[in-house]
Amino acid sequence: MQNLQHQRLGLPNLGLGVGLRNQHFSHLMRHDPQVDWFEIISENFMDNFGFARHVLERVAAIRPIVMHGVSLSVGGADPLDWIYLKSLRTLADFVQPKWISDHLCWTGVANVNTHDLLPMPLTEESLLHVVDRVRQIQDFLQRPLILENPSTYLEFKESTITEWDFLSELAKETGCGLLLDVNNVYVSSYNHGFDAEHYVRSLPHSSIVQIHLAGPTDCGQYLVDTHDQPVPAAVWRLYKLAQELTGGVSTLLEWDANIPDFPDLVVELRKAEAALQGMIPDAPLHQSGAAQIVSNPVDFQLGSQT
Amino acid sequence: MTEQSLGLLQLWMKTVVTERGSLGEKLESAAKRHGLLIEEVVAEKRGLSAHERISIYTSGYVARLLECMRADFPVLRRFAGDSVFDAFAKAYIVTEPPHSPSLFDLGADFPKFLEETKPKNSQAQAEIIALLDLPPEIARLERARTEAMRARGTENDPPAATSLSPFEIFSEDLKVQATPCLRLLELKFSLVDFFQETDQNQPSQPDRRLSFVAIGRADYCVHVKKIERWQFAFLKACEYPVSAHVAARRAAEQSGNEPSFVLAQLVVWLPVAIQFGFLRQVS
Repeated sequence: MQNLQHQRLGLPNLGLGVGLRNQHFSHLMRHDPQVDWFEIISENFMDNFGFARHVLERVAAIRPIVMHGVSLSVGGADPLDWIYLKSLRTLADFVQPKWISDHLCWTGVANVNTHDLLPMPLTEESLLHVVDRVRQIQDFLQRPLILENPSTYLEFKESTITEWDFLSELAKETGCGLLLDVNNVYVSSYNHGFDAEHYVRSLPHSSIVQIHLAGPTDCGQYLVDTHDQPVPAAVWRLYKLAQELTGGVSTLLEWDANIPDFPDLVVELRKAEAALQGMIPDAPLHQSGAAQIVSNPVDFQLGSQT
Repeated sequence: MTEQSLGLLQLWMKTVVTERGSLGEKLESAAKRHGLLIEEVVAEKRGLSAHERISIYTSGYVARLLECMRADFPVLRRFAGDSVFDAFAKAYIVTEPPHSPSLFDLGADFPKFLEETKPKNSQAQAEIIALLDLPPEIARLERARTEAMRARGTENDPPAATSLSPFEIFSEDLKVQATPCLRLLELKFSLVDFFQETDQNQPSQPDRRLSFVAIGRADYCVHVKKIERWQFAFLKACEYPVSAHVAARRAAEQSGNEPSFVLAQLVVWLPVAIQFGFLRQVS
C-alpha cells in the first residue's frame, strides 16, 4: 500500500484522455465525451469568461480535468512571473484540476515571450536554477508540479547532463512529477541521436504521472513535433514500454493542428488499448517536404474561435 | 571563448529567434550583442548543421504567431489579401514581440501599429489617403469583437438584471451599468454592414462616414450593432452604476438632443440594449 501511494505521487490513473479544444466544443455540448478525462491548455482559459469557460465548466462537472500550461517558463532566466502564477492558481481554484503541468523549457527572456518551448542548456547551473524555481512554484500552488520533456531541435555545447538525468535529478530534488511525452522522446532521440528506449528506461518511473502521445512529422533530416498526425508505430512501442515500466499511468492524446472530428480523435485514442495488448498500430511516420513545418502548433489557442 | 551562463545563452537565443532579418543578420546581431558565435553555442550532430537547427526555431517563431494573427483578424486578412496582410502582421510581430503569456494579447496593439505605420505620402490622391485609414479601423473592430467574446458577460446574472419591460424607464429608481464585455467604437467608416457582407463572401467597399458601434454578448452570442450618437453617449455614461435618467440627460447633452427625446427613445431601445448584453440592471 505504501508503495502504491508513492507511485505517481499518489495521483490517480485517469485512464485515456484528450485535449479540450475549441474545435470540439459544439460536439461536446451535445454528446457524451466518450473519453475518461480532459487536459486543458491553461492559458486558453485564464481570463476567458466566454463560451470556452462555459464549456469547461460543463465538461469539468462530468470528467476529471488536468491543467497543462505552455507559458510557465520554468527554465527561464527572468524572475518568475507571479502575475501569471496568480492567474494559474485562480484558474485552478475554479477548475479543481487533478494536477497542473508544464514543460521543462523556457519560453522567453528579457520580458519577451516567444510562445515556443525553447530548449534548456542542460548544466549544473540550469539544474540548480530549475530546482529552485520548481520549489517556489510548488509552494505557491500548494501541489506538486508535473513537468514534461519537450521536443528539441538543438543541443547546447555547454550541456553536460542528459535530459533523462536532468529530469530524474529534478524529480528527486523537488518531488515534482513527470509528464513523459513519448512522442517528444522519439522526436528528440531522432534529432540528437540518442536511444529513445534508454531514455524511457532511465527515468524514475514512480515519478511519472502522465504520458503524452502525438504524431510528429518527418522533414527528412529531422523530425518535428507537429501534433497533427496519427501516432506512428515507433511512438506506440515507446508508449507500451513506458506503461509497463510505470505500472500504468494516465494517457493523453495530443492533436493540435489539422484537428479531426471528435469521434475520429476517440478512435485514435482507443488504439492505446490495443498497443498495451501488444497489437502495435502500424501507422507510418508522416513525411513532409513542405518548407514551413511548425513545431508546437497553436491552432488550438486561436482566440477568435472562442 | 565567453563563459556561457544560462542567462547569456537565453539572451543569445532570444535575439536570434526574435530579431528581424535573415538568419545571417540575426546571428550577426546576436554575436555583436552577446559576444557569442553560433559555432560556440549549438552542437552539430547527425549531419544537421547548427544553422539548420537554429532555423527550425527562427522560422517557427514567426510562422506560429502569424497563424494567430490570421485567426484573430480574418476580415482584415480577406480585405487586404494574404500577401499584404502577412507582410504587415510579420512586421508587427518583429517590431513588437509578444510579452504576455497569453496569445490572446498578441493582436492587442495591431490596430495601433497599422495606424502608426500608415504611409504618410501627401502626394497621394485624397481617395487613396482615405483608404489607408480603413485597415486600422477594421482591425479595431475585429479586436473589440474578440475581446467581447472573452470578457465577463451577463450569462450568470440573475434574470432581473438582464430583462426590462419598456415602461420601466419611467421609474426614477432604475439603475443600469455597462457590462464588462461592452465595447464601444467611434469609427471613420461604416463597418458593421461590411463585416456582415464579408461573412457572406460579398464585401463591398465600406462608406467613409463617422459611425458608432456597440459590441456586447448575451447567452454567449456576440452582437455587433450600429448605434446612433445618442446611444453611444448613453452607453458611455453607464460605465459605472448610474440612474438611467441621469445617463439619459448626459446622453442628451452630448448628442445635442432634448432629454425628452432620449427618454422616449429609451422606452424602446433600453430593453434591446439589455438583451444584447450591452447593459445590465443594477440595484
